[in-house]
Amino acid sequence: MSVRGTRVPAHLRLPIAGVTPPPTEKEGQRLFPTGNFRSFRPVYRDKTPPCNNACPTGEQIQKYLDFVKHERFLDGYLTILQDNPMPSVTGRVCYHPCETACNRRDHDEPIGIRGVERFLGDLGLNLPDNPIKETLPELSGNRVAIIGAGPAGLACAYHLRRRGHASVIYEAMEKPGGMLRGGIPHWHLPEEILDAEIAKIEDLGGIEIRCGVRVGEDVCLDDLVGEYDAVFIGLGQDVGRRLDVEGADLRGVVGALEFLREAGMGRPVKAGRDVLVIGGGNTASDAARSAIRIGGGRARIVSLEAPDELLIVDEDLEQGRDEGVEFVTNTSLVRVLGQNGVVTGAVLCEARLSKDADGRVVPELVPGTEYEVSCDTIMIAIGQVQRLDWLPDEFVERGLIRTDAYGRVGERVFVGGDVTRGPAMVVDALGDGKRAAHGIDILLSAEELAPPDPVEVMPYERLNQAYFPHAPRIPAPLAPPAERRRDQKVEVTLAYSREQAMAESDRCMSCGVCNGCDNCYIVCPDVSVQRDARENGHYNIRLPYCKGCLVCVQECPTGCLEKAPELDFDEPDAVVRMETAFSPYDGAHAEQSAPIALLIEDQIAAYDAARRESVGPNGDGGPNGDGGRAQNGAQEP
Amino acid sequence: MYHELTVWSRGIIMDKEARDVSSCVAAAARALGYHAENVSDYVDDPDRTNCMVRRYARFGDKPIEDRFVYENPHPDWVVLIEETIVKGVNFLRGTRPGEGVLVINSGRDPEYLLKFLPGHMREKLHKLVVVDAVRLAEQRGSSPWMFIRDLSELAFDRMSTEGAVERLAIGMGIAAPVIGALVAATGVLPVDEVAKVVADRDAMLRGVDDHRVLEVSPAPAVPPAPSAPSAAHA
Repeated sequence: MSVRGTRVPAHLRLPIAGVTPPPTEKEGQRLFPTGNFRSFRPVYRDKTPPCNNACPTGEQIQKYLDFVKHERFLDGYLTILQDNPMPSVTGRVCYHPCETACNRRDHDEPIGIRGVERFLGDLGLNLPDNPIKETLPELSGNRVAIIGAGPAGLACAYHLRRRGHASVIYEAMEKPGGMLRGGIPHWHLPEEILDAEIAKIEDLGGIEIRCGVRVGEDVCLDDLVGEYDAVFIGLGQDVGRRLDVEGADLRGVVGALEFLREAGMGRPVKAGRDVLVIGGGNTASDAARSAIRIGGGRARIVSLEAPDELLIVDEDLEQGRDEGVEFVTNTSLVRVLGQNGVVTGAVLCEARLSKDADGRVVPELVPGTEYEVSCDTIMIAIGQVQRLDWLPDEFVERGLIRTDAYGRVGERVFVGGDVTRGPAMVVDALGDGKRAAHGIDILLSAEELAPPDPVEVMPYERLNQAYFPHAPRIPAPLAPPAERRRDQKVEVTLAYSREQAMAESDRCMSCGVCNGCDNCYIVCPDVSVQRDARENGHYNIRLPYCKGCLVCVQECPTGCLEKAPELDFDEPDAVVRMETAFSPYDGAHAEQSAPIALLIEDQIAAYDAARRESVGPNGDGGPNGDGGRAQNGAQEP
Repeated sequence: MYHELTVWSRGIIMDKEARDVSSCVAAAARALGYHAENVSDYVDDPDRTNCMVRRYARFGDKPIEDRFVYENPHPDWVVLIEETIVKGVNFLRGTRPGEGVLVINSGRDPEYLLKFLPGHMREKLHKLVVVDAVRLAEQRGSSPWMFIRDLSELAFDRMSTEGAVERLAIGMGIAAPVIGALVAATGVLPVDEVAKVVADRDAMLRGVDDHRVLEVSPAPAVPPAPSAPSAAHA
């Protein structure tokens, strides 16, 4: 319809029919809450990055990498200390399940997390004071007995102290450290680093380490249970499994673990110049590489496993090869040859690794392939166990301690370490200690133990991969192989420099966790993302105005922003409702209808009247032939 | 007898559904001999994604007086093509107390949806009808949200019609079950007659059979919430 020529009364003269002032005008935003466009709402929901999930201690790796990236090293160090008491140790010896899980593996190469951890740990060791000492709570008066000063026991004591509980650690050896000292060679973990980390834990106060006390001989477990508020058994497996072959009792046949322990404790050890190490795992690798350093000769690793089945971590395999370790794979030791009670050689034969129904390793020898080799030392590294005869029988199952879902064998007796699962990583033991300390703390506060909440791990596919340019991993610097072979004490893997640590941290994709990149803040076309600081947790969505276009979700690099159906948010009181879609007040259009209709009626009546005048009653056209337009036009104001 | 139908929807992505509902109701009414009108309201600027748009139909046994007015002043039938509109706007403005029939396309419970209506809106309701048209509509593609998905899913999972491929048939997709639920719940127009003008007759009949009606007892009178704009004209 056309209303041209009609007179619109002043009260109906709207700027544009029924439109509110635009949001740019005064009052416009209040009148026009565009939040009602939204059928999905962007929400910040941090997920668990895979590194964090894979780490048995639950280190917040993304968080400290982000601190390091921004040169906030002390904050990074304190972040690690929340979960792991000895980053200088794990930064050297950890088999880094975090790097194995790193999403960056699917992108280019995983982040060198261990190198950054070591950088932070060494930085922390060089601080004049322990920064967490002042933040510790007062001692609660509760006392916990800890059996074993290995990584599990030390971590438990540390985390108990962080929660205000004192502990006494009973250690059978003359120095604390457990497998850290007795199982890991000095070229991997220098003794002074280990000593410094242990001293730092002891220095927190409320932690007493009693060395040379063997529970089961010098102290009775029942006495500990009676005397203390709780007990933690944190044992490794430091007894090497024996190989039952002819000649195994000759001089020169030693257990690899025993060899490593003697060397680690600083006692004089000897290794021959031609060493055979039987086994295909990390202990075999450590023993062979130590033997090269101590004996100065050659070392061969004889394994049932094929080259691609070896259980040695990749970088150790490569470093061992560089140092001259030889690998004799798919081979088994048949018997040891000797003269005058001393080893002179061995008979080997081809073999294959197979497993029986229970998953136990069974060698499959190939008959007729036996051959002799000469050697002067044979080290056995085919697995490890623990003496558990001092424990009640019902705790023990197939050489391991059987625990309940919370890692307990009694109401207040927690267990951790390799003795619960078989040989594993240092960081597994550290995680056991942390979990036990958490459980003990809950029990001592007279609360109920509960399983941990399930976590959502961020997969690579949900990252916005386009935001992450490919960048190669910075390899950890290594000492030259010739240098390494010279001495036990030459560290193989060296530290990242400050710049390298920062550059490597910068590669972190912050999977599923907001890292304050400001992308949502920048891309929002409606200025509906607000922040007061460029940090995680400081962004919020202006819900009355966010139209739910989801550009922020689409452009979030880390995937911490998600869309959620608007109606899932069950908050009727928080709804900002527009009164009508566009009219600023009730039925602007409807109100117009009556007067406008009247105007139109008037117009039509006037038109009809004019037409009646100009057109004759028979309707055959007016005298001037213009259909009355002249009069109609004359009505224009 | 006189009824006003206002269909609320969201711009571009669900505009055609709204248009189909009002068109079919008006066409069926006209075929039955009523005076009927269908209005596509271009004041609402439907080419902005997700902005709220309205479609109007009105019919009665007397000639319609406000022929040239877009907006229904007193809608007694209100349809929400997308469930979140229940939070967005006062779609019952002008409805007379206790007369409103509200049809919502949603998979949720009517009780849950009713929670979002403040007292001054609730007292205008006679019935709340919930029809899960997404489930009842003819399914295309693997996702339950897919009806036609030619524009590479329109970036996100949404009900997509316009902007992808315009379909000429009237009464397709989720519009069909919504029409079915509306006609069945109001009981003014015979289902068979309406079905004649709906392209996807089967889906419409599924909507006739499968919807939930919540009779809303008149809520105690609550003064209307202070609305943002000038109350002088309200």
